[in-house]
Amino acid sequence: MFQAASAKLAQTLLVLLIVSAASFAFLKLAPGDPVSIMLGSDYSKASYDQLTHELGLDQPVVFQYGNWLADFVRGDWGTSYITNQDIFELAVMQALPVTLTLAALSLLIALVIGIPTGVLAALYRNSWVDVLATTLAIGGNAFPSFYLGILLIWIFGVDLGWFPALGFVAPWEDFWQGLWHLTLPAITLGAWYVGLIARITRSSLLEVLGQPYIQAARARGEPGWRVVWVHGMRNVLMPLVTVIGLQLGGMLRGAVMTEVVFALPGLGMMVTTAVLNREYIVVQAGIMLTGLLFVAVNLAVDQTYQFLDPRLRRR
Amino acid sequence: MDTAVALNPRAADVPESREPLLEVSDFSLRRGQAVVLDGVNLALQPGETLGLIGESGAGKSTLAMALIGLLRAPEVQLEGSLCFRGTELTRLREADYRRLRGNKIGLIFQDATAALNPCFTVGEQIAEPLKRHLGLSKWDRRERAAELMHSVGIPEPRLRLDAYPHELSGGMQQRVMIAIALACNPELLLADEPTSALDVTIQAQIMELILDRVRELNSSAIFVLHDLALGAQVCDRIAVMYAGQIVEEGPSERVLASPLHPYTRGLKSCVVELGSRRLEPIPGQIPPLDAMPAGCRFAPRCPKAKAICGEQRPQAEIRDGRQVACWFID
Repeated sequence: MFQAASAKLAQTLLVLLIVSAASFAFLKLAPGDPVSIMLGSDYSKASYDQLTHELGLDQPVVFQYGNWLADFVRGDWGTSYITNQDIFELAVMQALPVTLTLAALSLLIALVIGIPTGVLAALYRNSWVDVLATTLAIGGNAFPSFYLGILLIWIFGVDLGWFPALGFVAPWEDFWQGLWHLTLPAITLGAWYVGLIARITRSSLLEVLGQPYIQAARARGEPGWRVVWVHGMRNVLMPLVTVIGLQLGGMLRGAVMTEVVFALPGLGMMVTTAVLNREYIVVQAGIMLTGLLFVAVNLAVDQTYQFLDPRLRRR
Repeated sequence: MDTAVALNPRAADVPESREPLLEVSDFSLRRGQAVVLDGVNLALQPGETLGLIGESGAGKSTLAMALIGLLRAPEVQLEGSLCFRGTELTRLREADYRRLRGNKIGLIFQDATAALNPCFTVGEQIAEPLKRHLGLSKWDRRERAAELMHSVGIPEPRLRLDAYPHELSGGMQQRVMIAIALACNPELLLADEPTSALDVTIQAQIMELILDRVRELNSSAIFVLHDLALGAQVCDRIAVMYAGQIVEEGPSERVLASPLHPYTRGLKSCVVELGSRRLEPIPGQIPPLDAMPAGCRFAPRCPKAKAICGEQRPQAEIRDGRQVACWFID
């Protein structure tokens, strides 16, 4: 058990190291010399050398990386050239919660719609219910989120006026207002996930329902709904969690698009703005944060497995 | 364990006229065009044990699944009658059938490893029918589950209640399966090859355990087996199935001692007897369901087949206290 845990820890640290090296290299490789940018158009050789020394840019790259990593871990992520805002404050305190809330809400919507759809499709397989569910699922996957987002804004935001078209209210400040503002973005982002979850639920449930333990549950007199939702779905959760974890990348990509369409001040919006402004130091923070997010989700999925599958539990 | 009578002394006392616990009459099961079970007739007295014997594909397990109502319309089409305690099972509403399953009719599966849900503790799975059918409280369910585990020979049942199936050996898993099937003291126990997934050393133990429990609970039991000698040893009666039909049915010792149907004889000579090198396999195999012969289904493989066997189906005749379906009973 200790061995497995330490192997996992070593793996995680290695991934973090690669992510941080990649983020650091990103800034190094970026075009433009930070010293000359900071000094403006008119400067002397002496002031250039002095600033280079002050910034530590005359040291070997490995030392520069070490210093940068130490600063990063301390939360000293630098300051935006444009807004003069502290980047840690901007990325972690402001943008990250927005993206996490959007992602969580989207996932919730996708699960609430995707799982029953998948179950119905499995129970009535090859009937019109199955065809309809599968079509909707593939349709949700095929619709690009910018198209669906704009469509939803037109119909529900502008024409019907049921939901705000743009903007963000933090749900932790005003819960209902926040939820109201996040509904359309979450549907947009979740639509892509609905199809995925429905298809995985359908195929996994079909496989599970063919297992002898399902027959055994029926042979004990368990009613049909319990056989499906308790005995069956309990075993479908494992493949479902795997896929949700693996598709987190897709979700973050979708979040970028959704945040831009709905003007939500999340990580995606932050990185997009920074790219357009060539503010690489903010982009770097975005890369680092995304990497950390991936590692965290992977660890969480691992823990969830052990919780869900007794065969993986270590005693 | 010499004879069935010694195993089950009540069998001798059962009067012929008593109302049978289970009566299967002219029962057929079709899956689309394929006739999987064809005109099955059986009667089981209370407290009696019956062995369904035959090759794989003979329809033994199908009959067991149909009896517990896991194979029903619209999945398959049923004809004839399954009468259990005076209730016609083929026409029973699903909600009423559910009250029988795991309650009055228990089923032991062949492979306990596959038949236990890996995500629930064995205690939870034993307790399920206790809640469903007996409505026991949570505390009582736990107590009763521990008692049941003890009764099927699981040591330290209280510790094992919270074990998951994968934490138990194959033999222990099958004991759990037996505990589940017997949880509500069923009047009819169905055991589908209950020992064939187990190590040879444990097979005898498990078989004896099931027989002991059945006798103690005064239940009837149907064993699905492929071994004629084992069937004759543990069951009061034997029904030999071939290609969805019962070809010979009667008291174990008589069927084993002097089989009347050529197929039963073939099965008997298939058994490797200790000290003899005689082994005569029956040539050929069960024909596929969509290519069943019009006459006797065994005719293509039968050493005694004549012209009539391929043309007309033999009706079951009562001969020497048993039913036999063959044109040439000698």
